[in-house]
Amino acid sequence: MGAFAGVDIGSVAAKAVIMNDRDILSHAVVPTRVSSERSGRMALEQALEKANLRSDDVRFTVATGYGRIVAPFANGTTTEITCHAMGAYYLNPKVRTVLDIGGQDCKAIRVGERGQVVNFVLNDKCAAGTGRFLEVVAKVFEVEVAELGQLCNTATERVPVSSTCTIFAESECISLMARGEKPENIVAGVHYSVGRRVAGLLSRVGVESELAFTGGVGKNVGMQSVVGELLGIAPIGLPGDPQLVGAIGAAIIAKGRAARG
Amino acid sequence: MKTLERIRQAVERRPSELIEARARGEKVLGYFCCYIPEEIIDALGLIPVRLGRGGDETLVDLGARYVSTNNCVFIRESVGLFADGKDPYVQNSDFVAVAGTCIQMFRLSELVKYYFKPEVVALGVPRNFYLPEGRVFFRHEMADFVRQVEAMTGRTLEPGRLSESIELYRQIREAILELYARQSRDASPISWRDIFDVVQAGFYLDRRQYLSLLKDLLTEVESVGETAKPNNRPRIFVSGSILAPGDTKIIDLIEQLGGRIVVDDLCTGLRFHKELMVHDHSLDGLADAYLDRIPCASLPCLLPLDEDKRFTTMVQLAKEHRAEGMIYHTLRFCDPFTFKANATMKYMQEKLGVPFLEIHTEYSPSDVEALRTRVESFIDVIYMQREEKEAAAC
Repeated sequence: MGAFAGVDIGSVAAKAVIMNDRDILSHAVVPTRVSSERSGRMALEQALEKANLRSDDVRFTVATGYGRIVAPFANGTTTEITCHAMGAYYLNPKVRTVLDIGGQDCKAIRVGERGQVVNFVLNDKCAAGTGRFLEVVAKVFEVEVAELGQLCNTATERVPVSSTCTIFAESECISLMARGEKPENIVAGVHYSVGRRVAGLLSRVGVESELAFTGGVGKNVGMQSVVGELLGIAPIGLPGDPQLVGAIGAAIIAKGRAARG
Repeated sequence: MKTLERIRQAVERRPSELIEARARGEKVLGYFCCYIPEEIIDALGLIPVRLGRGGDETLVDLGARYVSTNNCVFIRESVGLFADGKDPYVQNSDFVAVAGTCIQMFRLSELVKYYFKPEVVALGVPRNFYLPEGRVFFRHEMADFVRQVEAMTGRTLEPGRLSESIELYRQIREAILELYARQSRDASPISWRDIFDVVQAGFYLDRRQYLSLLKDLLTEVESVGETAKPNNRPRIFVSGSILAPGDTKIIDLIEQLGGRIVVDDLCTGLRFHKELMVHDHSLDGLADAYLDRIPCASLPCLLPLDEDKRFTTMVQLAKEHRAEGMIYHTLRFCDPFTFKANATMKYMQEKLGVPFLEIHTEYSPSDVEALRTRVESFIDVIYMQREEKEAAAC
């Protein structure tokens, strides 16, 4: 027995998951502010508290995400690509394609029969197609990011948003509002625009059933419908919070590394 | 390896040697692109130097003032080298030759002539290199190239000298290929990186001294024999756009993250030397030999991939050096290699089933962390593949 920890330090939030041999014991999500290291630590401490464990109860900790290089409290690191594949597979062993739309990047991953990464492609050169884009849009419409998906699904039509750049799209949304377009319809257009980018990314690795969404944007019901529509394949839901999948994968990897000694 | 150190030191001394040589009346012909036949330059009694560097953003920006920002960074930096006036090889080139293999390379010759050096000769390379018409064209181009260089330099090409030079280069290639064969062995005392650096040293050093150093290196490698520890790290094939001297970002990263490069087909590496066999010691023979080697991707090949020498050689090299994955490096705006990235990936996966990673980048350190994630994940993929194979074998 023993506990293993995975800490996924992303651009928007740090997520920690504690597992034992089979089950998830606890998790925590902390916004990444200025210090990736501090948010990572806090997430881990909160998860430990919730699981009623102390830090020396944890046999191995793996850090992932772009903040993994500033995680001195971790015993090892691994890339979030490996973690998302492993985490999604753990939650549903039928998953063969993972789409992770994170805070500032977007990844398409093909998963093998044992949860291993077979192929991957990522886009981290610009914010289009990432959580950041949706954050900017949420601010324009003065809603919480978490409400965007539902807002999108109340649309009566989709207003095309042509700008591929987040900054220019922001201006475009404001102009469209000024022109009298309904917020939910513009938001639907934005989701479609993001959807097209991620569908493009997915087509580069090919989509094999089952497709799962991970990452914070995986919670967005609007994105789920759009991607399902564009790819002709509905993503399956994973149990729990999709934002935790990376940290779950990291915890599983921590278990593997502890076993190898 | 002592010889590696001697080679390194020889390269350090080379710029001052060139200055001294020129003071004695010798002439240097600096050239771009491996389609320029060094044999001819050497046979004319000129000192050949391969020009061009990569990886320096400042020089790229400088070059952009003359070219544009919407083109290949290697070309931009090469223009920057001329504009900056500090590269010892550019500064010590009395004449410049450019092969028009790649269209942007051809433009480089126009720019250099217009802005910096009046003595530029261009060698046309046919796009239909695999057809008889292309062969005829290139033979004419070669003869014309010689005429132009003779006129530019006041020298005359003698057949006897040409034959000597052809033999010299044959021996150089033979030595390099032998070194390449050895570096990918499990317990080799020399690495791919060592040999890649040695190939690039050969762009600058006196060619006869170079051959002698290569022979010494082979002797030293032989005498050391196999090392105690085999190197079992993930074996990686590096392919794609030019990795010019100075552009080490990708190869440093691969090595840092625990990958072992075992082979390449880069024009600044193996492709410079492989498959170049001059059967007939004449200008025509030389032209045919250069055209028959592994073609550069900038020469569009409309043959089916199984008949495209570049592709079939990739597969053969991967098998020979037991590559477990391919990292395909494309420079921004390098159409030749970027266009065929997908086809290369599919072909390699179809023939070999090895993982493939395209790294699209330029000469800026700003994307190192993003590339680190990709390369690290790619190396993970290779390890996972190994595990899968072991599991399947049980």
